[in-house]
Parts: sequence; structure tokens; C-alpha cells
Amino acid sequence: MSVYHLNGPLTDEDVKKLKLGDTVYISGECFTCRSRLQKYIFDEKHTLPFSTEGRNILIHNGPIIVKENGKWKLMSFMPTSSIRFEKWGAKSVDEWNLKMIVGKTTMGASTMAMMKEKKCVHVSPRSVSPNLWIDSIEVQDVHLYDELGRIEAAWFFKVKDLGPFIVDIDAEGNNYFDKLDGEIAERKQKALKDLGIEEDFEFTKLY
Amino acid sequence: MIKTEIYEEALFQTIKRGATEISDDVKEAFEKAIERETDVEAKKGLKATLESMELSAKRENPLCVDTGWPIFYFKVGNNCKLEGGFVELENAARRAVARATEKGYLRATMKHPLTGYDPGNNIGMNIPDFTYQFVDGDFIEISYAAKGGGSECFGGTRHRIVAFADGIKGIEKFVIESFVASARAGAVCPPSVLGIGIGGTANVAANLAKEAACLRTVGSKHPDPMFAKIEEDLYKALNSLGIGILGSGGATSVLAVNVEYAYTHIAGIACATSTNCMVARRASSRIDADGTVSKMKSPNWFGDR
Ligand code: SF4
Repeated sequence: MSVYHLNGPLTDEDVKKLKLGDTVYISGECFTCRSRLQKYIFDEKHTLPFSTEGRNILIHNGPIIVKENGKWKLMSFMPTSSIRFEKWGAKSVDEWNLKMIVGKTTMGASTMAMMKEKKCVHVSPRSVSPNLWIDSIEVQDVHLYDELGRIEAAWFFKVKDLGPFIVDIDAEGNNYFDKLDGEIAERKQKALKDLGIEEDFEFTKLY
Repeated sequence: MIKTEIYEEALFQTIKRGATEISDDVKEAFEKAIERETDVEAKKGLKATLESMELSAKRENPLCVDTGWPIFYFKVGNNCKLEGGFVELENAARRAVARATEKGYLRATMKHPLTGYDPGNNIGMNIPDFTYQFVDGDFIEISYAAKGGGSECFGGTRHRIVAFADGIKGIEKFVIESFVASARAGAVCPPSVLGIGIGGTANVAANLAKEAACLRTVGSKHPDPMFAKIEEDLYKALNSLGIGILGSGGATSVLAVNVEYAYTHIAGIACATSTNCMVARRASSRIDADGTVSKMKSPNWFGDR
């Protein structure tokens, strides 16, 4: 497993070299996104009020940001679960030309297919450590604050060596967790057996 | 008579502590998990999480950005007298939640379920949530739990009616299948404190599971050996699966398994699960009749069981 320090905006070459399980740290300009932004753009047909060129890293996140002496202050940050945005995943990768999505969990089949086509990766954290991250993040600006509210707005971050994150979807459409699923399923069979639950155990159907 | 300003401030301080300070029992469970972890990356993740949680207490910022659902549990002495009564207690709790949100200890997470409208203060229809327990005495114990979205939304909370004929095996199989599905790719933010409710109507089982996940001291055992054995067996079984921190592999998938039960109609045994995420946030305070407020290490919710 390799460790990469990447600088945004990311190129196809940057992401094509990443393998499942690799560790990445990112620097550069990113933006945050949650459901209300995607609903606003893709379902309610508004235009994204900024360009993602030069800012092709999307972070699924609703930060805690307060205003202190007229300046934004980031209180807390943790990537949120990506899988809940699956409905809009492929469109986001395609229309916003994303090269990397940072989020907890992973994405589903349709986004993975689009990521393969457009060369984009998904990376996820392996800890819940906001305090080790917030010093690497500078809040630059915010869009759609009035329309979407403080945590659903699109925040512009400039990050420096933000990480570590592991690559869980590569640019070939492979998923780290699919591999783990098989191993866990095997261990589960053993655990059930150790508890005395026979392999052919079936629940009595009550409904 | 306990004055409004005293219980309102106690409510606020309890929320702040719950949101920003790791409790001793969770910290101890993390230290044990770090010690036994053999996967290098998982060990780093556990250490980073603990380090960040310790910094939160110093910096007075949230343990995790997702500050979840604001949930209150009140253990109330039968002779407890509050200025303004219990209606005012709930109003004060709402004001305290709004204040904690304004200060950035809580994120404005609670929104309208259909429109997504954000009131900006975590206050709305049926939120915060209040649960009461009545006991002898003239004190009140306040517990605040911040139930994270990951732990609640991605299948950590489930229920199934298991036939009496299927017994403990049926219950254990249901729990293991549920947990594996909900922890995939770290959805419920494992290592989890897994609460299990057995018996009662389905909502009773679900409430017991949530209380077992949020209010039991991590590392405690059910006093009835039959239930303690289920806890121990499932703890071992789930930690043998290799799910690990945020589902990416490792030796600790659950920090604890806590079971609570209720008598029931044995036509079908309601069985519910509730996972609390790794930051397992909660805090408790006690207010005596003379207005003295003291911090509690653990909620003591099941103390009189
Ligand atoms: S469920 Fe996960 S993201 Fe949400 S509060 Fe818990 S640790 Fe944080």
C-alpha cells in the first residue's frame, strides 16, 4: 500500500495511479456538498453558482462553522456518509467533472460506473478525528448560504495535507469494501457456528 | 423547589459536556481497543480518534461534527419540585439546546423531514425528545445523549419479531446479521456500543435497545446471568468478524453489547437493535432538592433495575 500527497486540482494521472487501500493526503481547493445542494441543482434545476474547474475535489460534509469577529471559524469537520447521495452521485461526477470524492462509507454501482468512465476516485477516513483535521482547513467562501442553510451550503475550503484517507473506489470502478465483505461473510459463518447456530437454521416465519 | 435558572443552566452544561467530552467508560474501552488492535491502520485510526476526542474537551468543540438528535432522559424523584413544573423543564431544555447550537457545541442538524427546512437551532416538532422515569426521592437526574446520524440512519436500528420457538439462537442470528449489514463500509461508525432490546411491544423493545446503547455504562454487565451471557457471547462473536474501525478492517467492531428486556406476549418476541457510534456521546447531572448540581460519571438509568 502506498502513501500519496496530492495537490488539487487533480488530473487523470493523479487518480489513475491510486490503488484500493492506498493512503492519500490532499492539498488544494475543495468544496462541500450535502443532499440539499444536489437536490437544488439536479432536481430543482438551478445552476451551480460557481465553477468546479480548479476545484474538482468534493467533500461530503456539513461542517460546523461560526462567525467570529466577522470571520468564518471552522469548529468541526468530519466527512459524512456518501452512500446516501447515490441518487445524484453519477450526475455529480459527470457534470461537475470531479476527480475525487471524500466521504465516509462509499458509493454504489451507478456512481462507481461513472467514476470509471470519467476517472474519479472515492476516499474515506479511518477515524473520527475532527481536531486532527480542522487545522488543515481554511474556510475561503460560501455559496447558497441563504438558500440552503448553514450546513447544506457549498463551502469553499483550501486544505493542506488533509488526511489520511484510504482509497475505497479506484478509477477502474473497484471497491475496497466488496473485498472485505467476502472475508467478513466467512468469519460470520464461523461465529454463528461457535454460537451453536446451525448453518441450516431458519427463522420461523411469523409474517 | 428547584429554580428554573438552576435547572436551565444544568441542562446547558450537560449538553455541552455530552457534546464535547468523552466519558471515562468510553475512553477506557478505546484504550483497551488500541491495546489489542493488530491491524496497523486500524490502530492508527483508533488512536487518532481518541486523541481528537481528548482535544475536544480542551478546545470545547464537538467530539464529532454530526451532533445528531438531541435526546433527554429525566430520572425524576416522586417528590421533586421544579419551578414552573415539567412543562417549564422541557421549555428550558429547548432553550438550552438552542443556546448550545448558537455557541457551536451542537450543529444545526434537525430539519423538517419533508422539506429539509432548517430552523437553525435544532428545535422543531417532537424534537428534542424527552423520556421520563419516576423513582422515590426529591431529586432529578438529567441525561443528554447525542445520537449520531450514522449510527441511527444506516440500519443500526432494526427490529424483528422472533418466534419463541427460535429462542436465543434466533435472537443472536438476527443481531449478527443486522450488525454486519449496518456496519458495512463503516456506515454506523463502528466500533459501536450495541444496544439490544428483547420483549415488550416493538416500540418498547426499540426504546430499550436505544437506552441500552446510550445510557448503560460501557463495560457493565446485565445483572441477570442469562442476559449477561448473551452480551458476552455476542461481544465475542461480533469482535471476531474483523469489521473494525469505520468498517475498514480491524479487531474491534463493538465496544460493548448491552441487553435490556421486558416481559412479553410469547406469540412473538420483539427484538430490536440500536447502535451508538464510536464517540458514544452522553452526559448526566443530578440536581438535589436544595438546588445543588453535581456531575455524574454515568447516567445510572438502570440503577434500580
Ligand atoms: S454516527 Fe459517525 S458521523 Fe455521526 S456522530 Fe457518530 S461518529 Fe460522528
